[in-house]
Amino acid sequence: MNCVRIEQIYLYLEKELPPSESKKIEEHLSSCLKCSKALEERRLFLRAAEGLPAFDVPPDFTQKVMAKIFPAEVSLFGWLAALAAAFSSMIVALLIFVLVINQNLPRFLLSFTHTLGNSIKNIALVFVKFYKLASLYFKLLQQFSQELLKGLSLLTTIISPEVQIIIITITLILVFSFAYGVRRKFFAGEEP
Amino acid sequence: MNEDKELVEKTLKGEKKAFEMIIQKYQKPLLNYMGRMVGNMELALDFTQDVFVKVYSSLNTFQPQYKFSTWLYKIASNYVIDYWRKKKIIPLSLNQQSNDGSEHFSLQVPDDEPSIVQKFEIKEIRERIEQALSMIPDYLRELFIWRHINGFSYEEMAEIKGLPVGTVKNRVFQAKEMIRKLLEEKL
Repeated sequence: MNCVRIEQIYLYLEKELPPSESKKIEEHLSSCLKCSKALEERRLFLRAAEGLPAFDVPPDFTQKVMAKIFPAEVSLFGWLAALAAAFSSMIVALLIFVLVINQNLPRFLLSFTHTLGNSIKNIALVFVKFYKLASLYFKLLQQFSQELLKGLSLLTTIISPEVQIIIITITLILVFSFAYGVRRKFFAGEEP
Repeated sequence: MNEDKELVEKTLKGEKKAFEMIIQKYQKPLLNYMGRMVGNMELALDFTQDVFVKVYSSLNTFQPQYKFSTWLYKIASNYVIDYWRKKKIIPLSLNQQSNDGSEHFSLQVPDDEPSIVQKFEIKEIRERIEQALSMIPDYLRELFIWRHINGFSYEEMAEIKGLPVGTVKNRVFQAKEMIRKLLEEKL
C-alpha cells in the first residue's frame, strides 16, 4: 500500500472509515515511520481541538431568555395587592408624619383634607376658566373665518376672473415685498 | 432526540417549563458556537438569546421528522450570516457552496513536516488553535466548530448546511489542515 493521504488519517482517527480500510491503514502504519509520525501529529491536534475550553453560561441566562420570551404578566390579584400595599404605605407614612410633627391626628387630618380640598377646588376653577376662554376663542375664530369665506365668495361673484387674477398677483407681490423687506430689516449689514 | 420532540410538543401546548428545559440543554453548546463565530462574548450572549427567541417564535414550523438540534443550528447559522451581511463583513460567506464539486482538497503526507507534538504542551496548542480559528474563513470555521467542539456528525452538518456529506468532510479537513499550517507557521 502507498502512503496514506492526510484526509484518510483524520477519518481513521475519527473512526469514519469502514473496517476494511482501517485495517489496511493499520498495516501500512506498522511499516511506515513517516505516516506513523503524521498520524501522531494529527491525533494530538484532534485531542487538543476537541478539548478546547468551553465558555461558561452566566447563571441567570436561562431566566433572562425566558423573561424575554414570556414577559411577566401581572394578575388582577397582583394589581390589587400592589394597590393595597401602596395605600397601607401611605397610611403608615401619614401616621409617622403626624407623630414627627407632634400634632393631634383628627385635627391634622381635618386640616390636611381642607388643604387638599382647597387645592383641588383652585385647580378645577383655573381649568374651567381656561376651558371657557379657549372655547370662546375657538368660536370667535370660527365666526371670523366664516365671514372671511363669505366675503371672498361674494367678491368672486361680483368681480370678473381677469380682475381676480390681477388682485391675486398684486397680493402675492405685496406679500413677497413685505417678506423681502422684513428680511432686509433683520439681516441688514450681512453679506448676501 | 425524542426527548427534544416531546419538549417541543409540550411547549407548543403552552408548557413554559418545557421550553426552559430546551434552553438549558442547548445554551452551552450554542454559546460555544456563537462565541467562536463572532469572537466577542457579550455579542455571543446576545446572539444566543436572540436565537432562542427566534426558535420559540418559529417552533410551530418545526417538522418532527427532522432532528431538533440540526434545526436549531440552522437557525443559529442563518442568524450569524444575517448579522455579517448587515455588517457587510462577510468576505467568505458561510453559505459558500461548490456547485461543480471542484473544491476537493487532498494532501499527501509530506516528507518532512514540522512537529507540533515535540514543540508544545497540549495547553499551548489549544491556545494557538483558538487564535488560528479566528484566522480561517468563516465557512470553514463554522464546520470545524460543529465537528470538533459541538461534536456533530458529518451527516448532521450536511443536513444543517444542505451540502453533500463528502463536501462537508472535505471542508472540515481543509479547516483542520489550515489551522495546523497556522500552528506550524508560528513555530
